[in-house]
Formats: sequence, structure tokens, C-alpha cells
Amino acid sequence: MAENTVTTVEQLVANKVAASKEELLKLDSPAWAGAKEYVLEMAATPLANQPSPYIKATRDEKEIGKITKVSMKCLHNGKEVFFYIKWTPKERSTSIGDLNIFPDAVALLFPMKEGIDTPIKEMGKEDAPTNAWYWRADFDNKPKNQVTQGLSTSLYTEKSSVFANSEWKDNEWKVVMGRALQVEEDAVKLAAGGKKPLGIAAWEGAAGERGGVKAFSKEWRDLVLA
Amino acid sequence: MAEVEANKQLSPEEKKRQEELAQQTVAIKDELRKTKRQLAMVLDLNKCIGCQLCSMACKNTWTKKEGREYMWWNTVNTMPGKGTPKDFEKSGGGYKVLFEGKVREPIRGNLPTRKEFGDFWKFNHEEVINSKFGTSVLKATNPDGTAPEWSMNWDEDQGAVGIKYPNSFFFYLPRICNHCTYPPCLDACPRHAIYKREEDGIVLIDQNRCKGYRFCLESCPYKKIYFNFEKLTSQKCIFCYPRIEKGVPNACARQCTGRVRFVDYVDNEQGPVYQLVKKWKVALPLFPKFGTEPNVFYVPPLAPPRLDETGKVDLSKPRIPLKYMVDLFGPEVEQSFKLLQQEMERARDGEKSELMEILMAKRWKKMFGPFDKDPETAV
Repeated sequence: MAENTVTTVEQLVANKVAASKEELLKLDSPAWAGAKEYVLEMAATPLANQPSPYIKATRDEKEIGKITKVSMKCLHNGKEVFFYIKWTPKERSTSIGDLNIFPDAVALLFPMKEGIDTPIKEMGKEDAPTNAWYWRADFDNKPKNQVTQGLSTSLYTEKSSVFANSEWKDNEWKVVMGRALQVEEDAVKLAAGGKKPLGIAAWEGAAGERGGVKAFSKEWRDLVLA
Repeated sequence: MAEVEANKQLSPEEKKRQEELAQQTVAIKDELRKTKRQLAMVLDLNKCIGCQLCSMACKNTWTKKEGREYMWWNTVNTMPGKGTPKDFEKSGGGYKVLFEGKVREPIRGNLPTRKEFGDFWKFNHEEVINSKFGTSVLKATNPDGTAPEWSMNWDEDQGAVGIKYPNSFFFYLPRICNHCTYPPCLDACPRHAIYKREEDGIVLIDQNRCKGYRFCLESCPYKKIYFNFEKLTSQKCIFCYPRIEKGVPNACARQCTGRVRFVDYVDNEQGPVYQLVKKWKVALPLFPKFGTEPNVFYVPPLAPPRLDETGKVDLSKPRIPLKYMVDLFGPEVEQSFKLLQQEMERARDGEKSELMEILMAKRWKKMFGPFDKDPETAV
């Protein structure tokens, strides 16, 4: 593990760098070299909360949440924020090649309202929505912008300003996902100098993970846009 | 199933919330399952000639384009056979029914492959047309270039294996979505995208809510749900609801040349479906053991009598083994056969048989209850 790696964090800091969007989207850009790497531990989504009697009855929680940790670096350039996420699935799955095949995916989750308790385990609630940036291996690096007001309610917005670059190398996914701090669509509002809770989820497609069958960070972490 | 240790150490508030969420899910699913009436279909397997007009009517109406090309919402398979998708009946799903139907425990199912359904074949029509007579033969290939190894009717007319002439047998089994009273797909969907229409019990997948997770396909023991690889949603037979709403019967039913299919509300006492399912009890659901209470029913297939080694009629046992029929249609099939034979005898003897009158369907439009309008003129 790299020297600047921190595990079990409560706070992630996105420092400001003087680098363009194009530069920060490059997976081997030197701009990322100095950024602190955080390791986020993840766990299975609670089986009891699954909004499907079928899933509850036919899954074993021990078999859910194959991706137990991801590493993440965050940076911003005053206009856009970037997340460099890495994880190692047992097997890569890049597309819906068949009816029984599911692609790998990762998502960042933000509460959309300030000063109101937003349950991460339920992806928000009616009066406390969440915003997810959802990258999937078959989305051609065009992540979806998703708004959720509790379990089963997630909907993609028509427009998504989230952008990404990704690579599969040495049995590892490397995904850079980013977005302008301010966007038009229904989404989390971010600002340099501010702080925002952040959650993360990941799906191991080869293990049949999709929907609520996934690994997620059980608690919000604070993202500081320095 | 098991929950990990960490989740067992929940705070009282978290436990309470989990219970609330579980109750909410049950309440939502009950609401989505609720119906005032139920539409149903009865198929008389004694009249099905396996012509696939139903399949083609459905194909032309619903599955010709937009990623549905490989789908067959209506299939007709030769039985005994492996069906569509291949060996679907062994793929799990459905329910274990307990306490006389008060409890339904979901059973985990498998996801079939696209090739097990039968892929969208491409044919070398151009090559055949443009080559010298006899130098090229018509050939099908899967989209990935491989040779097909299964299809929606791969084992056509193969029939019972291992049974020699003169006691060989086969029959046709047309299938659509069963629009079950307890649809496992509805219970499975974590998006609450699947629901029964309150007015007629037709099971639909809300295409705006579906995210293509395919838990529905996994849980359906009949495997009558397809995945649209273009739209990334699950799709299936919609019981021709846009036609039904205009008083027009389903395309598969109206196009059936054998007058096999009856359509009506189950509770319409004057209609053919009620008469066959509730009054005469000759029409039975397929695989009742799956616990989903289908709303597609079948009049089981009678067969010519068995012949013994000397070639004489042997009435001591049926040609189609009863055990096989019980496996397909449940133990009630024996009574259904007795009644069908009894009423056939009556009709042969010149007596009036109400049951035979219904099944013969001399008046075509009577087969469809209130859905007797012509699609050309229906508004």
C-alpha cells in the first residue's frame, strides 16, 4: 500500500489542484500522484432491508457484498470535482453479455439536503433525497445521475453531467468519475471550501450483484473540498 | 436466510426500522397484487395442431422490433419436450406453499441463457437466392456466428422418447405468461415495477420503473420473461391489454385456427372460462406445484387408446402415462380426463353435452366472452 494511504477514514479531503478536466481524467496523470489515497471498507447491504420478499428469502447476507474495500483519491480544480476509485473484483464483468451476466459497477452517494438526517442504508427518504453518480462497465464511461428518496425509488435524471474514464489493468478497475461543482439537473450541490457527506457502493457483476444486492459503505464519510 | 453477525447487533431503533421496512414491502406488494377481477385463458390441448399461428400473431403484433426480435411471448412446444427456454421446468423459482396457501415461501430460481431461449437467428437468404440451384442450402446462425443449438420449438414433433410404435405419443403445449394470482416476479422485483392491473389482473412490467435486474426472470418458474438487450428492461406477454381495452381478444386467441383458446373473466359465470375452470373443472393450470396460481388453464390432452403386444386395444392404462399428466397438471387431471371421456360418450350417444358444446366452439365469438370485437373496427 502506498505511503500516503489512509484506512478506515471518517473524512476524505479533496485538495485543490491547478489541473484541467482533461488532465484529471487521465488515469496515469501526475496530478493524481500527490493525492492522498483513502481505503474505504464496505459491507453487504442489510438483507432485512431488501424491498423484495424473493431476494430476502433466497439470498444469504454472507454471499452479498463481494467487494469489501475500495481505494479512493479525491481532487478538485475549483470548477470540477474528481474521484479516482480503484478496486479488485475476483473476476471482471464488462457487459450484459447474456441474461445471466451482470456488469461491474460503482456509485458515489450524496445527501441532497443539508441539516436533515438522511439514512444511507435506505438511500435517503421522501423528504431527504440522495444523489448517486452511477458508473457501470457497460455505460461507455457515461455515468448516470440518479435521485433516490428511499429504497426502490431511484430514478435516473434525463441529463447527467457526470463524466468518467476507466481502465481494467492488472486485475483492477480504475475509474475516475467527476462532475462540475454546480450543475443544472436535479443533483447534489457542491462548492469549494465546503463539506459534504459521501457514501460509496460497488457491485461485483460476476457474482450476480445488481440493484440492492451490493456492497456499500455503511456510514457517511465527510468529503471536504479544501 | 442468514444475516451476518454485524447486523444482528442492531440498536433497538435499527431493529424497529427494519421491521417497519419489512412491513412496508409486504404492504406494497399486497397492493400491487390486488385485483377486482381476473382475466384468464383456457387452452384446449386436444385441438392444438402446433401450427404456430398464435406465435406468429404475437410476433407480428408485439415482438418484431426494438430489441424484442428474439422474444417469443407466445411459444408452442411439443411435449414431452424440454420446452422454452430449455428445461425451464427444472430452473427453480415459484413458491413452496405452506399452511393451505396462507404462506408462500419464494424458491430461488436460475437465469437461463439467451441461447437456451433460442436466439434471433440470421439466415443466408441472399446466398441461397443468388447461388446456382442446388449449390447452397438455407442455414441459420446465431448473432455471434455460432450454429443454433436450441430454439423456441427445437424439439418439434420429437415427442416421447423411448416409447415405441404403436404407443408413441406427443401433443402441443402453447404457453404465454400465466398472469398468476401470486406472481413471483411481482414479489421479486426490488423496484416494485411489476403489478397486476386492478381491473383485470393482467401482470405488467412498468417499463419506466424496470432497471433490468432480472430478479423477475430468476423467480418465474415458467421462465416467461425476456430481457430486452437494447432497452435494458425485462419484457413479457402483456395479455394484449391494448386490444382487451377495446373489447378485442388477444392476438394469439383470435388468430388460432384450431379454436383452442377461450378468453374471459374467471368470474363471468355465463362465459366459457368460468364454465371450464370453475363449473366443469376440466381446465387445469400448468405445474400447479410451482405455487403461483396461474390464470392460464389447459384442457388436458386425451390420446388414442393404448395397444397391447398383439395390437389389440388395451384400456387398462392410458397411452399418455397418467403420472406424466399429473406432473404437468396436478392430481385433478385424473378427474378431468374421466369427465371429458364421460361427456364425449354422451355426445357420441346422441345426448346433449354442455361441456362438449363449449369445447367444440361452433360459435367462434362465444369463445371470447365480452372480447368479441373485430380489431379492424374496434375503437
